[in-house]
Amino acid sequence: MSDRGISRRDFAKSAVAIGGASALAACLDRFGSPDVPSGTDPTTLPARQHAWDGGLPTDDAGNRRLGRHHVLLLLNYERDGTPTSGDRQQVTDALESLERAYAWQANGLQFTLGYSPAYFERFESGPTGVDLPDPAALAPFEEPEFDTPDATCHLASDHEQVVLAAEEALKGNRESVNDTEMRDSFDGIFSEADRRTGFVGAGLPAENQDVDGIPDSEPVPEDAPLFMGFNSGFDGNQASEDRVTVESGPFAGGTTQHLSRIRLQLQQWYEQDSRKQRVSKMFCPAHADEDRVEGVGENLGTDSGIDECAEDVVENSRTEGVAGHAQKVARARDENDTPVILRRDFDSTDGGEARVHFLSLQRSIADFVATKSMMNGTDVADESAVGQRVNNGILQYMRVERRGNYLLPPRDLRALPPADPA
Amino acid sequence: MDRRRFLASAGLAGASIVAGCGSLQEQSTQSPPLVEDRPKATYYPTHAEGMETLGTGEAGDYRVGLTYSYPHRFWTVTGTTTEQVTIQDADSVHLMASVWDPETTMVLPVQSGVSITIDADGETVADKQPWPMASQNMGFHYGDNYQLDGEGVYEITVRVDGMTERRLGGFAGRFGDAGEWATNFEFSRSARDNIAYTEYPDQRGSRAALELMDMEMLPTSQVPAPEALPGELLGTGRGSDEVYAATWLTGADFLESGQSYLAVSVRTPYNRVPLPMMSLDSTVEVGGETVYDDALSAAVHPDIGYHYGAVVEATGDPAVTVETVGPSQVSRHEGYETAFLGTPTLNF
Repeated sequence: MSDRGISRRDFAKSAVAIGGASALAACLDRFGSPDVPSGTDPTTLPARQHAWDGGLPTDDAGNRRLGRHHVLLLLNYERDGTPTSGDRQQVTDALESLERAYAWQANGLQFTLGYSPAYFERFESGPTGVDLPDPAALAPFEEPEFDTPDATCHLASDHEQVVLAAEEALKGNRESVNDTEMRDSFDGIFSEADRRTGFVGAGLPAENQDVDGIPDSEPVPEDAPLFMGFNSGFDGNQASEDRVTVESGPFAGGTTQHLSRIRLQLQQWYEQDSRKQRVSKMFCPAHADEDRVEGVGENLGTDSGIDECAEDVVENSRTEGVAGHAQKVARARDENDTPVILRRDFDSTDGGEARVHFLSLQRSIADFVATKSMMNGTDVADESAVGQRVNNGILQYMRVERRGNYLLPPRDLRALPPADPA
Repeated sequence: MDRRRFLASAGLAGASIVAGCGSLQEQSTQSPPLVEDRPKATYYPTHAEGMETLGTGEAGDYRVGLTYSYPHRFWTVTGTTTEQVTIQDADSVHLMASVWDPETTMVLPVQSGVSITIDADGETVADKQPWPMASQNMGFHYGDNYQLDGEGVYEITVRVDGMTERRLGGFAGRFGDAGEWATNFEFSRSARDNIAYTEYPDQRGSRAALELMDMEMLPTSQVPAPEALPGELLGTGRGSDEVYAATWLTGADFLESGQSYLAVSVRTPYNRVPLPMMSLDSTVEVGGETVYDDALSAAVHPDIGYHYGAVVEATGDPAVTVETVGPSQVSRHEGYETAFLGTPTLNF
């Protein structure tokens, strides 16, 4: 028999990745209870669930940065048929308890609750005024499976203890959090279909790099916010919260969320590609030629400097033999030359494997599809020497495993909304 | 605790005990130093490695073959520069996938690519898109070094995506869909280390090339000799050691009346291995009038093989200029890494 044994996934796992009361207890035991500002009267919070920016700190360059630890709960509504007002009240009480317990900021807790096309099937029609398609494969070379839970809850905080405690409280396993009583929980309302976790921010990817998909040489830079080793999600390359907000209809003030689960395979990236190749693939060949990216890219400021990249990606790729990821994606802009998706993605070690939970917000799922289509670079592959994945941005290093679409209603409709609240 | 590194070092110790002096291990993880002053052209490599076939099978419209050898050093290409990929301590094998048409046995370079997934005991050990690659003795294939988790049985799945290249003649309407094929591989170091390995201390560095191997179950990737190409051969030319052959077809089944087809076949010297993934522009004049001025598209045809071509809305005697905008972006095994990197312009 082989000399293989227990997989590496059994060696190192963060508390958030493990989850549950014992992980929380171990975390509190080891690191203590962080000093977290308490929350406020929920009626004073923004009307948009996705209004997180006001509670996010900025980095040295001035980019907003997300909370460092994340939990995604994929949930099924336990009742057949349409929701009852009692169920809605229970969900509302649970969420408002968290809002009273923790300040609405990265140093406290931020969260959203969204609903899938599968959820809206119980009504006669989809959500009024919002196009919420079933998830689909978005590239000729991907074969994702589709997430079809009814709902998804995204919890984010700078503190592992906070996301774990909030999760336990929602599941009905804690009577209070941050010295605040939980008036109710999701118990009996939602069951867990899947649990996904992760992190983003300087230091965390390097700390968590002992997973399949990342070579053993520990190549992830200490200060990298993501496994691929570069800053990402620069403010200048993000849509604003306004730009991603549904403008009219009963769900005005809401947004749509696309969530994909992407497996990373970074052996070639770190052991075969040179740094110059990595810069050209992540940003663009001109950035690599001009040595414009220092370290993880902290010198870039608040955008990826994409104006300095060749604008005609196809023509540039024909001579350079490589197309940059940022260079390709930058082509997805609206009539005001603004990006149309707001990334809130993070990396993951779920299952002992390196992944990205790519979570993005946009006014319409079509905005995501358009952006992803630019990232695919199928036009680049068709018309240049760049392959469909080889040398085509970072496509060679990732495989999309799952996709799901959700509506994040405005806060006053976040508890089991009807399809037509009017 | 770093399990993989632990296994790698345990493996090394094991091998040197078996080999007595460790020579086998040296052979499998190292290559002789590169030739000094490599010519900027095809050259005879320092050594050659044989390979073992793991199997062949159907993957949709395609037929796929999988072979392996020792980990190799190779060079990736971006634009006109190469980057050497060195052998990592943890590399176990060099895996190679070939893709061909089962009817004509023509090897198909598929720009959309191939992915290879290796599973063992229900876990994924590797999942990569190997590099499109050219080697002197094996021709065009997809290859990469893989890090296995010790000796044992692995399931290897090869997925070939649908071709986006233009498919002409008997290839029209085929190879548009992805196909998948899986096989088992029992990896043992001793079996790997029995694969042929030959050094060429006398010939290395000379302007020559290894011959293509006879691979039993796998076809070799060769395009026709220029004079065997269909149509009117407009001429041949040499770029940065690669050979361009231009041919002009009228009356082919995929053309309408009044149309011609310009096909430019670019191949290695000596072995006629096709060089895919180039960016070419072309100008065609007929009777002093410019009838085509645009990029050429990658295409495959049963009688022409892989080439770059364009349908031209004219017939007659053409004067053709072919400008190389970007050289072949396929990765290179030793002996090809200094060649085929230029951007020549040729007239036919």
